Amino acid sequence: MDVAQPLLEFLEKLFGPVNSLLDPLKSNRMAYTLAWSALTLAFMIVSGLCMAGLARLIARLRGKNRLYQYKTFTGYLFASPWITGFVIFVLGPTLLSLYWSFTNLRIGEPAELIGLKNYVDLFKDRNFITALFNSFYLTVIGVPLQMAAGLGMAMLLNQRIRARNVFRLVYYLPVLLATSTAVLFTWRLMLNANNGVINSILGALNKGPLHYLVGAFIFVTELTSAAFMALQTGNTKILEKIVAMGFPGPERLPLWLGADGLAFLWNKPSVVMILMWSAGAMMVIYLAALSGVPQTFYEAAKVDGANAWQRFRHITWPMIAPATFYNLIIGMIATLQIFEASVSLVRDGGQNQALYSVAYYLWRSTFRFNKVGYGAAMSWVLLAIIVILTVIQFRSQGKWVYYQGE
Amino acid sequence: MTAIAQYRPSREKRIKDTARQAILYVLACSLSVVLVFPLFWMVSTSLKTDKEANAPKPVWLPAQPQLDAYGELLSDPDWRTYIANSIFVAVLGVGGTLVSVTIVAFAFSRLDWPGRNLIFFMMLGTLMLPFQATLVPQYVLFNKLGWVDTFNPVTIPGYFAGGAAMVFLLRQFMLSIPRELDEAALVDGASYWQIFRHIVLPNTKPALATVGLFLFVGQWNALQLPLIYLQSRDMHTLPMAILNLFNPQQTQQPWTLIMATSLVAVVPLVVVFLAVQRHFVESIVLTGTKG
Repeated sequence: MDVAQPLLEFLEKLFGPVNSLLDPLKSNRMAYTLAWSALTLAFMIVSGLCMAGLARLIARLRGKNRLYQYKTFTGYLFASPWITGFVIFVLGPTLLSLYWSFTNLRIGEPAELIGLKNYVDLFKDRNFITALFNSFYLTVIGVPLQMAAGLGMAMLLNQRIRARNVFRLVYYLPVLLATSTAVLFTWRLMLNANNGVINSILGALNKGPLHYLVGAFIFVTELTSAAFMALQTGNTKILEKIVAMGFPGPERLPLWLGADGLAFLWNKPSVVMILMWSAGAMMVIYLAALSGVPQTFYEAAKVDGANAWQRFRHITWPMIAPATFYNLIIGMIATLQIFEASVSLVRDGGQNQALYSVAYYLWRSTFRFNKVGYGAAMSWVLLAIIVILTVIQFRSQGKWVYYQGE
Repeated sequence: MTAIAQYRPSREKRIKDTARQAILYVLACSLSVVLVFPLFWMVSTSLKTDKEANAPKPVWLPAQPQLDAYGELLSDPDWRTYIANSIFVAVLGVGGTLVSVTIVAFAFSRLDWPGRNLIFFMMLGTLMLPFQATLVPQYVLFNKLGWVDTFNPVTIPGYFAGGAAMVFLLRQFMLSIPRELDEAALVDGASYWQIFRHIVLPNTKPALATVGLFLFVGQWNALQLPLIYLQSRDMHTLPMAILNLFNPQQTQQPWTLIMATSLVAVVPLVVVFLAVQRHFVESIVLTGTKG
């Protein structure tokens, strides 16, 4: 017996008359949505006035004065869009999804309570484990590299250089482009293993004395990817193969977003490149943190004969630790929610599920395979992970992070 | 401080300083080139012939710039539909969200009412909620309401001040406007609506521009919700249409056309960013919030 069913049927009945009124408009999609928008606006005004009126009534019954009543009314009236939206689009759906996560709901079929089966299945699901490991890889390899890129940009722009504001805009621009399908396809084109521009540059480098650098890059990338795979599967065959192949010769090039051979070792490093390219959001956080470091500290250290590295290690780094920690947590959460890259950069989440993220797999299970209850369970695991990460961030801030004036 | 200002560095030190400046400048410029490179490649590829775009050795600049891809784009009524859909969804979604988010931020920053702090903390709590958490149940609900395959699910939820992060950014900014202004206006008999309209709104422009930018980027690039809800072909937005151009069954892709449409999809992002960039920097500095 599905307890959500009566609720949904009630909603269907409630909206029935409105739907039949607006259905003739459906042939013109935009007019249909405009009509619904107008209705929504009317609903918001009515519900806002009701909510605010009710709040004022309660204030009056509690014997408050007229000014207090007026302030109560205005406050709830202005806040009502969010409160209404919270109940309809957040609280209700979240509770429903919690309920459905204990059922085997599929669209168009009656749901049955199955207890914790979805959650148990989830942690036996190879694809889900892969999605978590992918996030783990990106957190350990990708996010620190992204933070390093962001810090590098911020330290560069923290110097007195000409046209600093222009550079700041240019460095931030990729953040706005990184989720654009259009730009991800450009990356897909540039990262083509056979005739992409990036491999053609690397190929040219391979002919010169720098080929050791390219070889080292390939070797290190493949070794780390294979090591993470070994960690995930407990099978070291691929790792052994990479070691057996030895240091890459000048004919070898990265496989990036390819779909055959050892390309699955390269799908995630490609995403790491794009993360580093769009490090501008982290740069903004670091810039704010760097501007908070008093110049006098550096002057005093210089007088004491500290060199540039010592000044960075003992002044800058500890003082910007809150920004580092913030960037780390935000970056970690982002790796769980990668979606555009899994769809646009590769086909079906990459070779061997290399670009599966929790968000992508959730979407795939729910909307491609109609496993709604299963998807709901996954969204609750995702929520739990994010809440834990956020709480850790809040709690540990005070412990090992330096705050000025404390 | 004056002692430092009057101190003239030696010739040697000045040369060293200039050299340092030059090196940093060159470094900053080369980094810019690397970061903008994908945009260059997009434009360059869109002007190539199909043969050049799929050449085994990448062609950096087309021998003879071709506008064929753009011609194809403009002559095909389907593409006009996709662009119109994208604009419609962006205008309605961004406009509706921006208005409601501003009103709500006003309530949380400049009005005193019982329960405000509790509700504000609840709102901060929703910051943690990933948008995927409500994805599944919202789909079931919208399915029941007959909203699947209409523009409603990608626009209407935004009218309810969707996006707690945006409310938070605006609230922080509004808190920096002196409260004395409100009190003076109240004494003069102004209503809260007048205060909102004539004191708070004009002073919140930088933050509004920034929030508008974030909302626009989110809506314009959106892929996940449109993939779920906009099913018929004539409902597709630009990102979906670009995705559909790519045919994984083939080895040769229509790269010139893909890059031409990509440019059409990217130009509005860059234009809006440049239009609001001055405000963007200002509001980021003031509120210390990131994008």
